[in-house]
Amino acid sequence: MAIPHPREIQVAVVDWLDERYPFTKAVDEALYQRVPNFANAFYYCFGGMVFILIVFQLLTGVLLALYYVPDATGNPAPAYTSVQFIQNTVYLGWLIRGVHFWSANLLIIMVLVHMARVYWTGSYRAPRELNWMVGVLMLLIILALSLTGYLLPWDTKAYFATEVTIKIAGLTPPQQLGMFVKELLQGGPVVGPPTLQRFFTLHVFVLPALIVLLMYVHFRFIRAHGISEPL
Amino acid sequence: MSDKKIENDGPGAAVAAPKEVQIVELDGHGGHTLEPEWKRLPIGPDHILYPVLVGLALFPILMGDAGHHLADDMPDEDTHPFFPDHFWPYPIIAVVMLIAVGVLSAFVQKNLQLEPAADPRAVTIPRPDWYFLFLFQFLKLGPELIMSQVIPGIVVGALILFPFIDGIAGPRMARRLGWKSWPVPGRNIITGTVFVLGLLYVAFLEFWALAGPNFCLPYFTGPVCGA
Repeated sequence: MAIPHPREIQVAVVDWLDERYPFTKAVDEALYQRVPNFANAFYYCFGGMVFILIVFQLLTGVLLALYYVPDATGNPAPAYTSVQFIQNTVYLGWLIRGVHFWSANLLIIMVLVHMARVYWTGSYRAPRELNWMVGVLMLLIILALSLTGYLLPWDTKAYFATEVTIKIAGLTPPQQLGMFVKELLQGGPVVGPPTLQRFFTLHVFVLPALIVLLMYVHFRFIRAHGISEPL
Repeated sequence: MSDKKIENDGPGAAVAAPKEVQIVELDGHGGHTLEPEWKRLPIGPDHILYPVLVGLALFPILMGDAGHHLADDMPDEDTHPFFPDHFWPYPIIAVVMLIAVGVLSAFVQKNLQLEPAADPRAVTIPRPDWYFLFLFQFLKLGPELIMSQVIPGIVVGALILFPFIDGIAGPRMARRLGWKSWPVPGRNIITGTVFVLGLLYVAFLEFWALAGPNFCLPYFTGPVCGA
């Protein structure tokens, strides 16, 4: 029996898929749809840049999580020493951590720039109001990611900045609610190991899942409405 | 497809048989103008790069139906295909950004260095990162509760509801005040002015904080210094 050419196998696979779902049609629909020329303006790229930076964050975050230890017991805590280990010992650890750090900073800038573009071109107006709201929620989640990520190195700066943040969150009226929020974030009477555990969980599981979900909704809206016309 | 046919037509020439595509129909793809076949890159289902193309297409496929877009009603010369014309800058942007953050990581190590390990007994005045610095400065300007919860809460709420505020309240107020036009931004002078003034205020607070603890400005409650 003659061995089929890889190309024949590929065609056979595509044909098989096409018989069950309009596969090639879907690919054509997705890729060859036409886009207005005005969307080539540089400022329409900002949203794409935000997406690219979020992908950088997710990828480098996964790599950092391979070595990071979310444990704040002892002095110095394993959380602190693991970050030191990433920074000084792990092969290219300094680069991965650097890309994560600088991408996070750049991400906030690009989100604000993208938001300014959306505002400037009036892209938040009907029928895109919901997408604007999703975008604002994503901005808040990105800020929350920055806030929770700040504590993870468990150094002096991170500790005291988080203490202030939690103190502010604890001001929420009425007093009982404020205390509840503070306890919820802190996981105890003071900022300590449970706080790090909670911030780590938020930073690594909850908030990234939320942002991926909201990104999906954001893109679905964009796909449904198309690129907005400039004013 | 036979090898002989591939040799004659070249890779990329194969297209799916239309009768096989009829089995399941996608919903609602009503009348999109796609790039004509003769203009596309010759990457058909038999081409070695077709899986890459499918990978790229998976993203918009997952995003659901495209709906009826502005481009569908525009003449051909005012539009271009998504792939490759619209797509190609993004991989380049991704590479450039990766290089940029890589260079920053290599040469601006100062911000990445750790301070001593956290010690609750240490005495230190925390200074947040730049993106929360304006808020940190704002806290100094009034009662904690109002500056940290009430006003930021109102601002976030207004930001979320901005399209409605912009669409309803702005024009009515503008008509009452007899404001006719303001070239930028957008068409709504009230919300536009508030938006820009808000941004300017945030920038002012940010620079005030950045100026450091020795830079103080007079305020109702006495001089307020940077962070």
